[in-house]
Amino acid sequence: MVSTTEAGRDRKRPSFKYSIEAKGPILLTVRAWWPPVLWSIVLLLIVVIVMGAGSLTMQKTLIDALIKLMVVVGLYVFIGNSGILSFGHIGFMMIGAYAAAWQTCCPKTKKLFIPGLPDYMLTHQFPFIVSVVVSGLLAAFIALIAGSVLMRLSGIAASIGTFAFLMVMYSFYLRWDPWTRGASTMTGLPVHTDSWVMLAFCVIVMFGAFVYARSRYGLSAKASRDDEVASKAAGVNVVGQRLLSFVVSAFIVGMAGALFGHFLGILTVDSFGLPLTFITLAMLVVGGMQSLSGAVLGAIVISTLFEALRQLEVGFDVGGTLVALPGGGREVGIGILMLVILIFRRNGLTANQEIYWPFRGDAMAKTAMTRRS
Amino acid sequence: MSGEIGKGATVRGRDDGLTLQAIDVSVRFGGLTAVDSVNETLHRGEILGLIGPNGAGKTTFVNALTGFQEPTSGQVKLGDREISGLSPHWIRRHGVARSFQAGRLFRDLPVSENVEVAGVSMGLSRRRAHKHAMELIEWIGLKDKARQPAGVLPYTDERRVGIARALAMQPAFVLLDEPAAGMSDLECDDIMRLVREIPARFGCGVLLIEHNMRVVMGVCQRIHVLDSGKTLSRGSPDQVQKDPAVIQAYLGHG
Repeated sequence: MVSTTEAGRDRKRPSFKYSIEAKGPILLTVRAWWPPVLWSIVLLLIVVIVMGAGSLTMQKTLIDALIKLMVVVGLYVFIGNSGILSFGHIGFMMIGAYAAAWQTCCPKTKKLFIPGLPDYMLTHQFPFIVSVVVSGLLAAFIALIAGSVLMRLSGIAASIGTFAFLMVMYSFYLRWDPWTRGASTMTGLPVHTDSWVMLAFCVIVMFGAFVYARSRYGLSAKASRDDEVASKAAGVNVVGQRLLSFVVSAFIVGMAGALFGHFLGILTVDSFGLPLTFITLAMLVVGGMQSLSGAVLGAIVISTLFEALRQLEVGFDVGGTLVALPGGGREVGIGILMLVILIFRRNGLTANQEIYWPFRGDAMAKTAMTRRS
Repeated sequence: MSGEIGKGATVRGRDDGLTLQAIDVSVRFGGLTAVDSVNETLHRGEILGLIGPNGAGKTTFVNALTGFQEPTSGQVKLGDREISGLSPHWIRRHGVARSFQAGRLFRDLPVSENVEVAGVSMGLSRRRAHKHAMELIEWIGLKDKARQPAGVLPYTDERRVGIARALAMQPAFVLLDEPAAGMSDLECDDIMRLVREIPARFGCGVLLIEHNMRVVMGVCQRIHVLDSGKTLSRGSPDQVQKDPAVIQAYLGHG
């Protein structure tokens, strides 16, 4: 249907025939994949600008923001499609981060700090990329086990279940000295995560999340989100579909955790607690929980605002006096923004919609998407 | 299951004599017996009406047939296989579909995807499920609304989408829970036309719960009357209408 329309246009404007025919399929593909394509371009621009003109601090802030963005995309895969709010995903980030430390720290450090590891792990050191993927897989595996119980719950009960999961993992890692150094700081992770690595991972997971959401599995999960009973009557295995989205999202968040470890080079259990849970959820809520564009936009907006408020907290000089926001102003600011969004724009900045191809033939782009997915 | 999608011609074994059978099905909630030893056999190609006063146990009976409510005692059989106690999605995938009184559409999904869900959950690719869904949507006359979110549809359209969703993937049996409730006479005529077409077009057996007597008497070949969970009367529309027990149940003691 789409190609017929294109052909029809060709006939009316023969002089453009060659170029349209050549561009046609590419243009249609770009349209069909527009949301992740758009956000990849936006992120690329941000990275190029900050790497070119930003200070070292700003570059660090950018990497940190991109890690959070990746976590939010992971959260979106589960929350956006299954409709269950999860407070537990930072647990998967922690699992991923420590799993990365087990793999990439040098054997000497491991023997000193985490002697509980099995011999094979103690004496071997694995490449960075391998460790990121394996860490994601471990998080996904834990999600499979925990999820096969938790995903039988619905609504608020399921959310509280995920919160309990976070608390269990948190307490466990805090006291698992031979593997995590417990309450002490785990150091010695090689620093590999720079802006470009994070950009690459963000682009990959955005496309992955988009593919999942448009797949039959994503559709089934969304049906169970809108009406659990009716989705069962339409043949959807609700527990199975929820579990799949839980596992996929844990994989993404687990990888983000590993990248986080390789960004800071040090790990403490208490960095994976409620503050991080709160801010990543705030990003998703502010952007719009049910769309990839919402997840990404929310992460960008909140990260920017957070950084701006941090600058204000540091303060600036006005005619000899230091004007500064009181400490904690950042959290208050984010809280206020979230309230405003929840009151006036309940479905987030993107109203839960994707941002579609903005140029001529928007309807055509949508048709192309339906046909391609 | 035949994977072919089409109209009528590709229905899997239309005359295979498959039945959906309730044998002494009872559902009790605590002290309340909602369905009390009901027997019924639904054949493919027929339209069976299930009527009764409010609270007679009609919806509970449908829930028992579709896996949403496990019978306290008795059996539900699809062909030779006992299906009571199996999960609703299993039962749907094996050919017993239902619609809901309240519509229960997926509000944030477009109309087309509402119907597609049934296709993809039974193993079709999204492309094929979409094609199949669009055929059904054309049949119910909502082709121009296929891309609208289901949540914004008017009430009568909602019902039709519910019917289309239940009929996706050609189930052997479809149980419609009050599809015409709250509709005007004109809208009822439209629903009657759709329901009448179902056996020939899809090869299903239809069980129709309905309060509107004009609809029930107009489309059903057989009628089963429930009152307080018990079978009150069974037979053709004429027989049932003349049954003094039915008249009494509906009009009360003179």
